[in-house]
Amino acid sequence: MNIDNVKKEFPIFNNKVHNNDLVYLDSANSSQKPQSVIDRVNDFYSKEFSNVGRSVHYLAVAATNLYETTRSSVQKYINAKDKNEIVFTKGATEAINLVANTFSQKHLKEGDEILITELEHHSNYVPWHFLRKSKGIKIEFAEVNSDGEITVESIEKKITPRTKLIGITHLSNVTGAILPIKEIIELAHSKRIAVLVDGCQGAPHLKLDMQDLDCDFYAISCHKMYGPTGLGILYAKKKWLEELPPYQGGGGMIKEVKKDSVSYGDLPNKYEAGTMATAQVIAFNQSIKFLEKIGIENIIKHEQELIEYGQEILRKNNSVKLIGNPKNKGAVLSFTIEGVHPHDIATILDEDGVAIRAGHHCCQILHDKLGISATARASLGVYNTREDLDQLNSSINNCKKIFNL
Amino acid sequence: MNIKELYQEIILEHGKNPRNLRKTDNFNKDAKGNNPLCGDNVHIYLKLDEKKKVEDISFEGSGCAISMASASIMTDLIKGKEENEVKEIVNDFLGMIKENPELKSKNLKEDEKTKLMCLSGVKQYPMRVKCATLSWHTLISAIDNSQEEINTEKLN
Repeated sequence: MNIDNVKKEFPIFNNKVHNNDLVYLDSANSSQKPQSVIDRVNDFYSKEFSNVGRSVHYLAVAATNLYETTRSSVQKYINAKDKNEIVFTKGATEAINLVANTFSQKHLKEGDEILITELEHHSNYVPWHFLRKSKGIKIEFAEVNSDGEITVESIEKKITPRTKLIGITHLSNVTGAILPIKEIIELAHSKRIAVLVDGCQGAPHLKLDMQDLDCDFYAISCHKMYGPTGLGILYAKKKWLEELPPYQGGGGMIKEVKKDSVSYGDLPNKYEAGTMATAQVIAFNQSIKFLEKIGIENIIKHEQELIEYGQEILRKNNSVKLIGNPKNKGAVLSFTIEGVHPHDIATILDEDGVAIRAGHHCCQILHDKLGISATARASLGVYNTREDLDQLNSSINNCKKIFNL
Repeated sequence: MNIKELYQEIILEHGKNPRNLRKTDNFNKDAKGNNPLCGDNVHIYLKLDEKKKVEDISFEGSGCAISMASASIMTDLIKGKEENEVKEIVNDFLGMIKENPELKSKNLKEDEKTKLMCLSGVKQYPMRVKCATLSWHTLISAIDNSQEEINTEKLN
């Protein structure tokens, strides 16, 4: 599949927004869906629907096979060692909550420390805050530098003998910084500290190789990867999934249930209680196929060219200030315009069909550090083009005109 | 709907140079409000005299042009009015933003109505209505001494 024609795969772009072509620059929030993924949801419900893993009838067996096929595809895509290291969740948020909850039961006591960074999304902070409240653990923050990066040194500085787990984003959803996670994982492991990577922004844009990274946990948001909403993935090393307790109790995760005892099922069932997001899991296989057809190397090259072009034109635009200047930058362009609040920018851009996000992007810690309450953010996906960024720039100019700048 | 109807000159002007953006000395009522979705926040300070007339009103906070202009225009217009008049004006304004085509309050002069109607463009932008109404809800909270921080996500 040629990446230049990839927009055609996404039916959303056939629609007009306020009589304009849609320029979708909000993929860090959620990506659009290719036709193949949309069709797969429809087909599954129309022709093949059944719950999985329980009944023995024809449809149940077929649906179970489809469901497990996605697990195998994900395993291959992220190069996990074992299929059972892939756990489906309702989102990356649930994946991180699962780790925080189960890891703390087994390994955290009062005074133990979790090290996260000032770049983290609220979903990689609030679950740890719960434990601060309930168990008295401490949360330390590695400091972001003036370019919006987290360095290995900034992590190392905050490690103490009580650090039990490091939680870091792979790619910042505000500054776009790609973190040196492999080096951080190596450092952590040399001190016997586990590492959880928030891969929400990393997974759609970067090459994933769990065995090479050697991380303990990696959380993925499927709807940011051209897949359906309501679905996330937790990759966890098998030793952790075997050792940690289950997260939720219910049907499907048990082995034997007696009045005085319950034993839990084997992996992956142990962590998939209740009826799962079956159609979404099955449709997500099409998202993986879509990404594989283009090829992650081509996606990286395409998005890197766009991000460089976007930075170049926005830097030339007076009164636009880019937020963060990381050396390794992924598909995010956050900016402010002096004299125009980000929400006003977003409303004015929307009138031209340009969809961006304004606010703190669930990163209040970072915005506090930057001393601003909100930023405007244009974020990229495979379907974006240079023309999209030109339109962004021209709509920014329109915005400046309206505000008499 | 043209975007310029939302961002009229008067809105831009008040947004850029908000009136009464300060803290009233010896205020006797105040309340905070915030919009957790976008981080806009406002703190309203009121000084009522013995006859419950607004001797001074001011605000502190940060937000978009719509929210700053709305707070600016509101504080300008509320000064000198009596408490019961203020409540009636707030209800009239919120009613206009929600559904009414025009303002009905007898406590508003024609030129005051014209000024407030400049904020009516926001009706076409449902996501921005909260920006325009945050300071007004917060004003009521201050008058009622409700001690409760206004949260736009908890309003109907």
